[in-house]
Amino acid sequence: MMRRAAWAAASLAFLVAVVLAWKLVADAKLVNPMFLPAPDRAFATLAGWIESGELWDPLSKTVWRMFAGWIAASLAGIALGAAIASSRRARDLFAPSVEFLRPLPASAVLPPAALLLGLSDTMIVSVIAFGTVWPILLGSIHGFKALDPRLTEVARMLRFGPLQRMFKFQLPNALPEIFAGMRVSLALALILTVVAEMLSSQPGLGHMVLVAARAFRSADIFAGIFVLGVLGFLTNSLMQYLEAYLLRWRPAHSGG
Amino acid sequence: MRRVAIGLVFPFAVVVLWELLGRAGLASEDGFSRPSLVAVALAKSLADGTLLQQTGETFISAVIGLLIAAVTAVATGAVLGLFRTLERVTTLTVEALRPIPSVALIPVALLVFGFGQNMSVAVVAFACFWPMLIITISAVRGIDPRLIEVGRMMGFSLATRIRKFALPAALPGIMVGFRIASGIAIVVAVTVEIAANPRGLGYGMIVAQQSLHADLMWATLVWLGVVGWFANWGLLALERRWLRWFWTQREA
Amino acid sequence: MTVSGAAGAPPVLAARGVSLAFGAPGAARTILSDLSFEVPEREFVCIVGPSGCGKTTLLRVLAGLVPATAGEAQFQGRRVIAPQPDIAIIFQDYGRALLPWRTVSGNIALAFEARGIPKSEHARRSAPLLAEMRLTEHAHKFPAELSGGMQQRVQIARCLAQEPRVLLMDEPFGALDAITRQTLQDELARLCESEHRTVLFVTHDLEEAIYLGDRVIALAANPGRIVEIIDVDLPRPRHQLETREHPRFLDYRHRLFVHLGHD
Repeated sequence: MMRRAAWAAASLAFLVAVVLAWKLVADAKLVNPMFLPAPDRAFATLAGWIESGELWDPLSKTVWRMFAGWIAASLAGIALGAAIASSRRARDLFAPSVEFLRPLPASAVLPPAALLLGLSDTMIVSVIAFGTVWPILLGSIHGFKALDPRLTEVARMLRFGPLQRMFKFQLPNALPEIFAGMRVSLALALILTVVAEMLSSQPGLGHMVLVAARAFRSADIFAGIFVLGVLGFLTNSLMQYLEAYLLRWRPAHSGG
Repeated sequence: MRRVAIGLVFPFAVVVLWELLGRAGLASEDGFSRPSLVAVALAKSLADGTLLQQTGETFISAVIGLLIAAVTAVATGAVLGLFRTLERVTTLTVEALRPIPSVALIPVALLVFGFGQNMSVAVVAFACFWPMLIITISAVRGIDPRLIEVGRMMGFSLATRIRKFALPAALPGIMVGFRIASGIAIVVAVTVEIAANPRGLGYGMIVAQQSLHADLMWATLVWLGVVGWFANWGLLALERRWLRWFWTQREA
Repeated sequence: MTVSGAAGAPPVLAARGVSLAFGAPGAARTILSDLSFEVPEREFVCIVGPSGCGKTTLLRVLAGLVPATAGEAQFQGRRVIAPQPDIAIIFQDYGRALLPWRTVSGNIALAFEARGIPKSEHARRSAPLLAEMRLTEHAHKFPAELSGGMQQRVQIARCLAQEPRVLLMDEPFGALDAITRQTLQDELARLCESEHRTVLFVTHDLEEAIYLGDRVIALAANPGRIVEIIDVDLPRPRHQLETREHPRFLDYRHRLFVHLGHD
């Protein structure tokens, strides 16, 4: 326990050293301050945003879009995946198309969406939903396919109907794979939200940092990056904790 | 073979439906276009070279960024993997920088490099660095410690030990990391182009969209999908060939 | 060979000319050939035979999981074509038969849910089962945290929670070590004795069959057919040491061995 604390302290010390080095470099103007602001300037900007309340509107918009799109993608992905996995025919018909679309960048849905839906909030949420459904759909198809036949027999012996089988057997069984997909999708949702905001000039964190770039306000940019980094960290941690709780029944040595 | 045929039924049906709807004028938006028009636009764009030029721009940005990331990540990962102390000390910094979405770096890159290839390369490099770093550290840590001992006892310098002992043993793991990162590279390159950078396939789609040339936009998208699929398939094949060669070399 | 039970009410479970064959006509493999026997109420009947004699398949036919190609399985005189609420089956691969995402209590509750018992009742009803199978302090654990023996106990508890009229057991202790096996054998015997359970128990272990059963049906392989039925006349409660050294035990064992060879 002591050793762990010691290592954590050393790690923190290293991070602080990096930030200090950053400050030294910036103050000595080794790099153009237009490109690299001093860390205290960046944090001052951030503090200013928080105090004046300027941060909350774009932040909440970004967060709302991200989660709205992701939840829509999750519901659709799980339902569709269950449907596709339920029949061999459906799997053969649809799974290859889903696999083919996998390497396609999710952001590539942006131009078509912009063309069809215009530059609006609806467009952004739709893009996120459409762009992030694929990992969840794939995970869902794999997860629903894989119920141990012995468990199917247990369900038969207990005479459960199809709806009960879905919720008591198939859905919990598919959850690890679905969850893995949802995790990837959430990270993707953050990226897509930022890009969509940059592209569509809709108020949000993405738009905020892009505007700052065009106006050469480097401190604003770095403050924005910090906020986005924290957002990324928090969402990832959220998923990690959820996974640790929801999937706590898994045997210790199971592979991903 | 039959499996492939069945798999093509759905896309084929979509294309046919799309064409019919377009002809019947049922799709209200011009944005929908028609497969026949898209095909024409695709052919034209290939013929006059724009599509190929854009593909080249995207790919070069992706490849250069990937290579920069690979070299730095493997070198850093090897050192961190071998020296547990260093890894422990830097872990907080890594965990602080890693969650930053690569797209958040676009404004910085824009500021520093302006529009152009270097901006894309920078963002791609940042995005590809972290997964390769993590995987390399894990691959290097998984090496049989006796192998490292042998290197030390033979009196080799650190650089030589990494080169002769650590890297070959960690290579399979590193290759997997490389393949994952290459997927990320292309995606990030296109994303940067869509968000800000006026070059490459991403930009091609944006330009077409903004000038309301729906057929050209879809054509670029289809091309992107095909190219991306081939790149992914090619990388997998390459990795398999490479690993097979690698293992037979070791047995020899 | 047929053995009839008490006159009057139909036996709880019966096989009447059950046959099962796989494959296309002409190239069919016969797994079970014209099996007939009865399991009267409160009896512990063991089916013993070498691997591949079809005993597991026979059990599955009686459970309603698999249809016979000829003849029929009967539960209380009526044909069994699908799983019944009054018939519970305990599988050998306990690890695969438990829901890994539910705790011990959750797995037992599955049987209550199947019977439509409201959630408020679950805790009260599962308490005696947990106590009986010595799982009370493990009630909140997941299957992955339990040993093989405990997992099998959970499966048994879940089947008992079904309140079945007959228990079908498919080599339930086959995957366990010898000591755990003996412990569970005695627990099972005690349980069935005190609750007057009707059990059909399948095993390849000759001694286990004699040790546990009131009657042993020996099945030979290729095709599966009854070659011997032994009424086990040994005092209860059975004892791992004394019963196994009893002269009649050795005699039964000898007879089964002659008919079935090595197991």
